[in-house]
This record gives sequence, C-alpha cells and structure tokens, in this order.
Amino acid sequence: MSVRAGLMGQTRMARIWSRLGGASDMAVAAAALAALLLVPLTATAYGLQLATDILAAVALAYGWNLISGFTGYLSFGQVSFYGLGAYATALLVSRTLVPWYGAVLLGGLLGAAVALLLGPIMLRLRGILFALGMLGLARILGVIFNNWNFAGASLGLSLPAALTPLAVYGGMALVAAAAFACNAFFVHSGFGLDAMSLNEDEAAAVAFGVPATRVKVIAFALSAIFPALVGGLVAWNRSYIDPTSAFKPSLDLETVVFVLFGGIGTLWGPLLGAAVLMMIGEELLVYLPNFELALFGGVVILTVLVLPGGLVGLANRFGWLRRPPVLAPAALPEGAPPAPRAMPAGDVPVLEVRDLTVRFGGLLALSNVSLTLRRGEIVSIIGANGAGKTTLFNAITGFIMPSAGRIFYLGRNVTRLPTFRRARLGMARSFQIPRLMRSLTVWENVVLASRHGGQAHRAVAHTAWVLRITGLAALWREPASRLSPGHQRQLELARVLALHPALVLLDEVMAGMTQEEREGVRSVIRHLPEFGVAAVACVEHVIAAVADLSDRMVVLDFGHEIAAGPPHSVLRDPAVVRAYLGEPL
Amino acid sequence: MSGIAAVPALTVDGLVCGIGPLTILQGVSLAVQAREVVVVLGANGAGKTALLRTIAGLITPRAGSIRLFGEAITGWPAHRIARAGIGHVPSGRELFPRLTVADHLELGGRFCTPARRAELRRRLFEMFPVLAERAAQRAGTLSGGEQQMVAIARALMTDPRVLLLDEPSTGLAPKIVLALFQTFPELRRQGVSILLAEQSLSLGLSVADRGYVLDHGRIVLAGTAAELAADKRVADTYLGR
Amino acid sequence: MLALQLVINGILLGGLYVLLAQSLNLIFGVMGVVNLAHGSFIVVAGLFTYWFTIRSGVSPLVVLPMAFVAMGAVGAMVQRFLIEPLMRFGNRAELLSLMVTFGLSYVLVDLALQLWGSDFVSVPYLQSSWTIAGLAFNQALVIAGIFAAAISAALYAWLNFTLSGKALLAASQSPVGAICCGIDVGRVRLVAFALGVGLAAAAGVLVIIVTPLAPETADDFTLLAFVIIALGGLGNYLGVAAAALVLGLVQSAAGYFLGGNAEYVFPYVLLLGVMVVQPQRFRRAAA
Repeated sequence: MSVRAGLMGQTRMARIWSRLGGASDMAVAAAALAALLLVPLTATAYGLQLATDILAAVALAYGWNLISGFTGYLSFGQVSFYGLGAYATALLVSRTLVPWYGAVLLGGLLGAAVALLLGPIMLRLRGILFALGMLGLARILGVIFNNWNFAGASLGLSLPAALTPLAVYGGMALVAAAAFACNAFFVHSGFGLDAMSLNEDEAAAVAFGVPATRVKVIAFALSAIFPALVGGLVAWNRSYIDPTSAFKPSLDLETVVFVLFGGIGTLWGPLLGAAVLMMIGEELLVYLPNFELALFGGVVILTVLVLPGGLVGLANRFGWLRRPPVLAPAALPEGAPPAPRAMPAGDVPVLEVRDLTVRFGGLLALSNVSLTLRRGEIVSIIGANGAGKTTLFNAITGFIMPSAGRIFYLGRNVTRLPTFRRARLGMARSFQIPRLMRSLTVWENVVLASRHGGQAHRAVAHTAWVLRITGLAALWREPASRLSPGHQRQLELARVLALHPALVLLDEVMAGMTQEEREGVRSVIRHLPEFGVAAVACVEHVIAAVADLSDRMVVLDFGHEIAAGPPHSVLRDPAVVRAYLGEPL
Repeated sequence: MSGIAAVPALTVDGLVCGIGPLTILQGVSLAVQAREVVVVLGANGAGKTALLRTIAGLITPRAGSIRLFGEAITGWPAHRIARAGIGHVPSGRELFPRLTVADHLELGGRFCTPARRAELRRRLFEMFPVLAERAAQRAGTLSGGEQQMVAIARALMTDPRVLLLDEPSTGLAPKIVLALFQTFPELRRQGVSILLAEQSLSLGLSVADRGYVLDHGRIVLAGTAAELAADKRVADTYLGR
Repeated sequence: MLALQLVINGILLGGLYVLLAQSLNLIFGVMGVVNLAHGSFIVVAGLFTYWFTIRSGVSPLVVLPMAFVAMGAVGAMVQRFLIEPLMRFGNRAELLSLMVTFGLSYVLVDLALQLWGSDFVSVPYLQSSWTIAGLAFNQALVIAGIFAAAISAALYAWLNFTLSGKALLAASQSPVGAICCGIDVGRVRLVAFALGVGLAAAAGVLVIIVTPLAPETADDFTLLAFVIIALGGLGNYLGVAAAALVLGLVQSAAGYFLGGNAEYVFPYVLLLGVMVVQPQRFRRAAA
C-alpha cells in the first residue's frame, strides 16, 4: 500500500520500467525468454537434455543465491535438499498413488520443512560454522540413505519412466522461473532489503528493527525449496536415483561456481553464470574430460581473486545491469511530517534506568547507574574516554545484557527484550562510528528503518520526508559508501528519524562535522519534539555543541555517575573538571 | 645540554593520514629532541592515537615525512620500524594473554644480541621489580597496572631510541600512572627519548619537558610544560569552550 | 580385556587424530582462515605415499619427510598467492578464504583422481600384529600413532619453548603486539600456513598405513579436524590434544559396538551437536 501511494502520479509504463530496471536488464530477460521458447521447438534430443541441465543449474544457482548471495550465509551443503527432494519424489511415486508433479512439489516442501527446522539452530552461528554445518549435514544424509533399506540403500530406487524429456524440460523451466521470481522478489521487496542488510551488518540492521532470525530462516527455507524441486525432477529425468548421485559432492561446487562467476548476490548473476559456464563447460569437457572438478575449482579461485563481483560486477562498471534501489519511486516525493506517536497516558517517564551494572569479565564498566528521561527532555551524557557512555547506550538498546539493574521504556520493562523489538517500539540509536549499509543506497538505508518503525504503513512517504529534512534529498540514489563523513553522520541521523522514535539516543553524532554541519544537526535535535520524539539522550565529546541544547547533563567517570544537573553548573563542578583534566598535582 | 643543533631523535613533518574519505591528521609537524619527554595532548578523537600509530608504521601516511635521528623511515613496514629503534606501547596494550611475562620480554628482545638482551632484562627487573616476581605468570591474568608495565617493558626490550606511549593512563588509577612515570628519568639517562600521548592534562604535563596540543588533526598549541600548564586555552580545547 | 584393547586402540587412534587436528589448529589460530582444503592435502599426501611405495618399495616412513617438505612448499605458495591477497579485505577475508580453499580442495581432489583413480587404496606396510599379554597390537596403528604423537609433541615443543615458535603464538594472540616486537606478521602467516599444510601431509602419510584412502574422503578429514578443534578449543593446543584422544577412544568403541557406519557418521553428529550447544568455542583466540 505504501509503495503504491509513493508511486502514484506516475504513468503506468514509467512505474513498470523503473521496477524492472534498465535496458540491459530487459535485454538479458528477452534473450533468456527467447532461448527458453526456441529450444523445445528447434533442438535435438541432445540439445534438449543440455537445455534441461542448464535450467537445473539455473534453478540451483538461484536457490543458493537467496541464502548465500543476498543473505550472506555461505552454504556448502545445498545438496542435502537436492537429495531429500529426489528421494521424497522417488519414494512417493513408487510407494504411493501421488501423481508425479505432486511428488515433486511435496519434495520441495520437505526441503523447506527441514530448513525451517534446522534454520533457527544453525543460523545463529557465524558464517563459517553454518557452512561447515551444512557440509556435515550433506555427509550425514548421504550415509543415512546409503544404509536405509526402505529407500533402497546403496542400490537406490528406480522410477517408472512416465515422463517425456519435453515434460521434464517444461517442469524444469517452471522451477527455474519460480526461482528467478523469488530472487526478483528479494531484489524488489522490503523483505529482500532486510536480508541484504543482514549480510552487510547484522548488528546495525537489528538496531533498526530488522527481525534477524526470522528473515534468515525464511530465506534459508526458500533457498531449500528449489534444490529439492530440482532433485525431484532430475530423479524423473534419470528414472533412477541412488545415494551417490542424489548427494553428489560436486553439486555444491558447481552451484557456487555458477553464482560466483555470474555475480553473487545479484539478480542476473546466477542466470549468466550458469548459462555461460555450462555451455563453456560442455565445450571444454570434450577436450578435457574428467577435469570438471579442477576446472570449476580453478574458476572459483580465480573469480575470488580477480573478479569478485563476477560478470554482473563487470557489467556494472559499464553501467549495465545495475540493481534499482528497492522500494524507490522514480522521483523523490515531497513527503509529509508524521503524526506524533501514541503515548501511554499519565506522566510515565520515557526512559527509566535503575541501578544498571554491566560487567565484562572482571571489568566493571557501569556501576549502579540510574537515569530518568521525562517527556520533552534533552539530556547529554559526557565523560572521559572509557567512562562507560557507549556501554550505557548498548545496555539501554539491548546490545549487551546488564549484569544487574532494570530498564523501563514508556513504563514497560525492556531489560531482556531483543534489540529489534525495542527499535520497533520506538527506541532509536545512532552509532559512534557510523554503521551504514555501505553497499546500499542512501534511500535504501533509510527506508530499511522506516519499514520497521512507527510509520511502517507509509514508509515511502516518511522516508522521503526524512531525507528532505536531514538535507540528503539530493543524494538519495548515491551508494552510502561514497558519502563524505559529514553526510554519513547525517545519514545515521536520518535512519534514526526513520524509525519515528519516541526515544532517540545519539552517540557522538557531532564528531567529525564542520561547524555548519553541526548547526544543522543541532537544529534537527531542537525540532525533534515536533516530530513526536518524546526524549533525547546524547553522548558527546564536543561539549560546546550540546551544552546549550540540553536540559540536563550527566557526567560519567569510570562507570559511575559523578554529577548531574543543568549544564553550566555541571561544567563548573570541580569533580567534573578533575575527571576531564586529571587530578591537580 | 649541547649548544650545537643536535639531530632530533624524532622529526615529524606535515603528516597527513586518513581512512577512506576521512582525514584524521591534517598536516602535523613536531620534534622530539634526544633524551626529551614530549607529550601530545588533546581531547578524544583529536588524532593522538592515529599520530602515534602512523609514526610506528601501523598506518601509512598519505603525505609528510618521519625521521628517526635524521633517517627517513616514512612508509617503512611497521616491523622494520620497530627493529630500527622505535618502541611502541599501543593503546589497549596489545599483550599476548596466554604467554608469560618472561615470554613478552624474550620476544621484545628477539632481535638483540643475547648479551644485550640479558642486560636489558636485568635493568627492567630493577625498574619494575613486580615483573621479576610475576615472570612466570600469564599476561592475561595480571592487573591493569601490571599489564601496562609488561607492555612498556616489552617495548623497552626492543632497545629503542624513541619510545611511543599511547595513553598509558587509560583505565589506571593516577597513583599507578605516576609510579610508571617515575621510571622516565632513568630511561632518559639511558638515552631513550619519549613521545607520550595523554588525555589527562595534568598527568601529561607533570612528566613532560614540552608538549603539543592536538585538535581535530592539527597542532593548535605548543610550548614547554610550564607554558602549557599556565595557558587557559588548553583547558578550553578539552571542555569545548 | 576387550575394554583394554579398545582403549589402547583408541589412544593410538587419538595420537593420529592429534596430528590431523593440530595442523589445522595452527592455520586457523594464526590467520583465522578456514582451510577447507585441509582434508585434500592429507589425502593427496597419502595417495602419493601409496603410489611411491608401490613403485619403489621404500618404507612410507621415508616418504614422510619428503611429503612434509614438498607439501610445505606447496602450502607456502598457496598462502602467498591465494590467501594473503585476501587479507586486505578485512572482515570479508574470512568468507573469501573459505571460498578459495573450497575451490582449492576440488582442484586437489581432481588431481588425486587423475593421478591415482577413485578407488580406495592402502599401503601394505606392517600388516601383522604384535601379541603381548593376550592383546593384539596392530603394528601399523602402533607405528602411525606413535609417530603422529611424536610429531605433534615436537610441534608443541617448538611453539612453546623456542623463540620462533613463541613468535607465532604471539602473532596469533595479538598481531599488533607482535609487530611492536619487530615480528614480521606477514611472514608468520606464511610459515604457519606452510607448516600446517606440511603437517597435514605428514598426517596423510601416516593415515594411509592404517586405513584405506580415496579422493572422496577428503572432506571427511576436514570435518573431523574441525570437530576436534571445536571440542578442544581453538588455539588451545593442549585442549585439542585431549579432545583428539577422547575422540579416538570414542571412535574405537563406537566402531566396535555400532559398526562401521556409525563410526563414520559420529564426527558429524558431534560437530552439529557442539555447534548448537556451544558456538562460542569457535571464537578466535582473543587478542
């Protein structure tokens, strides 16, 4: 709904054009479609088989791209789902009355089900562990099926040949198309944006409301469907499966090579990589039979070292096949300021921190710190290096769990609430060192947060408004990596506002800014209450910039609060002066 | 003191460094004379650590030069600079948690002759008796002050001509820091020149001969310790007044 | 008596496992690089040993130092040209090196397939057993286990009692601190990787006198090594040695009571279990 609202006022063609990307994308799509339709009409039996194999490779590549390309979790065991799909299909067809297409589909669902089961466990781990875990899973399944007599053990199962090669081709084309559609969905949807943000910087994504585990598991489940479907169809194509062919180790290698060579994490990469390498491979293998593994392994190595962006990365340098920004309209709309957030009745403080203590091993980072922020207040927190200021913010936002003490937000105990939920409730923070999504555009960085915050129902309009008031409107299509430091800080601020927060926590937002830029930020901070922000807390080193802005100032030193009160009196407090300048000797 | 213009132990000229589009040092020039203690002051984020790391070779400068007793070392790999005679005690200390105190000293003195190594070790145990007591203890189990001593001792074992100390007072009680500073006169006598980065104004000025004040990557004030102590503007750059 | 037999076999097997795992521990500990080609180095060395001893009649123990040096040299080149260029990518270096070693493992496996075929082969060295006090000691296992344990002990001694070894440990615990001591951390990475690969080759030579190998088993060894490191603690050489021994004992028992397949699958189940219950074991040795 929000997307349509944002796009209203454009012609239908312009809308479709901008959604589909540019001329180069159309060219590739047209070529693929033409090939798809021509093959069954003109090819020989050999050609049809090759085309079917290419389609299988494309489907596998697109499946892998979902979890390993967009979401960034390298899986070296997708063959697990392939084998499961193959066996599920074979068993259902040979033992039950389920029609063949039903069996294939059920195989696909089985893959998804297994992924949904294992996902929450395995995706909590770091990338390497997930990769290793999937590798292990594939080996375990291979052994299980090798010994399971019901499934034919090492001799395998044969299927009654009931499908023509053309039918298999058609089925594979459908699967490949579905896999492509899924990738296209990722590239054009908020969900896909969430996944890409996790790939870039999971901790920062979570701070802006992205439900990390949920997104990862769904991406994983989707990525499991396609290898399972392909496995099911290949079983039909060969009329026979056994553990060695169903769980063949080279499948993952091929899939990785195709996607990497084509361009990992892109829309067209899997298609280009699979098509090009399969065809080249067919030619080369005539001259160099049995060197398939070495060749593909070599291509992986070379691609990583020389052309990590793959073919699409190369094309991008010429301006082709660029990914259009997600959820972006053709032109930046005016946008409108949002209505204030609904607040609970009464005089409940926005934030109440009670006796917060944080320990890192033997080090006491925060000791019995208490802080209350009431509506309308701007509080600045100052202190020397290592005093515990950022630790305080990290505890309030849920990045670290306190050892003791409690945190109340709008009257609700949030001490153990996951970070993304706090963000959705309206608690927004900026980071000391900007943690922008560097590979995403300015627009995408902000709309990512808008989608999860208080204005999620009108995310596009809200994003446009935020970009305008933070002075980033002209740069909305720039990749975040190309921004100057001052603009990066402004983008940090924009993301905070995008959440439509009630509580804003700014961590050293003035650092590295020119005087002019600082004035801009100060102006935004002053106007925050108009936009529904109930309270602001700033951690700052540039004390001059926040002294006249704050209602109260709190000074931390070695994890303790040593002073609190109106800024001018706090800055003259001898204890504070001592903490900053050191003990007079 | 020699009346002839002796070659300064360390000369930094127009140093510029940064990360990506961000420039951290905007043309810093300073000098440390032989056997001097010079302090670099400045608020957090001013660039003190970046300055020391660039001199030590951990950051490659974009422009400017660094000379050690007149010899240009700009752009040298960091380990070569360490062997050339610049001892670096980094912020965060960077100890080897599972190696013992004795190991740290041994590794620091790796490129000395065994005789020199033994001599240095003897002197260090005199200066820091605690180290002798805890020689067999793993560095990760020591207290903050002891760890700082190990870090300094390790740097001194490289037999440096210039010692770079990056905010040694971080996380330590002033008493302990002062005890550390009391070893400086002995170090100077042994021919070591010291460049110290400090956030604490009073601690820094208490031990230095001269100082520079760094603000947003530039030197804004310079003078003897006495001059800087009396200058109100120094406190202003810290408290943002 | 059966119990004692299983225990002895388990300990000897554990000795072999120690070498398998320590060679990977060295690389992961110093560089944070996951060497997915680890198993393929082992298998290539083992198969080469088979080929060489069949042709020349020489004892595999003579092949051991040859394989160590030759593979070490290969490892140095791999590090210099394939891995070191990735270090400049900072955070992404980990995943990129994963991909590169993934590709490399297939190149090596294919090489093995070309040179020595896909069948399982073993070296017919010391095929009899000694019988002492009613217990049978498989001679090959005894020799392999003892040699592997000795090499691992030598590695441990070098790391902990020599200055150059300590320099390597230092570089893995704090690269910046090591630089401050004048240690060329880039060269340490090269040495660590080359050494790790050389030791993997040594392990391969010893494995093939005990059990048949084929190119397809490469991944199994990689995973086995990771399981042991996971259990013992990354960078913790004593912990890994202990874990290897425990696993050797468990495998020995499992093999006897549950049959070949359970023994084969057990490491994977264990890996998944450890990853789920205690993922923090894989954090690199803290700097």
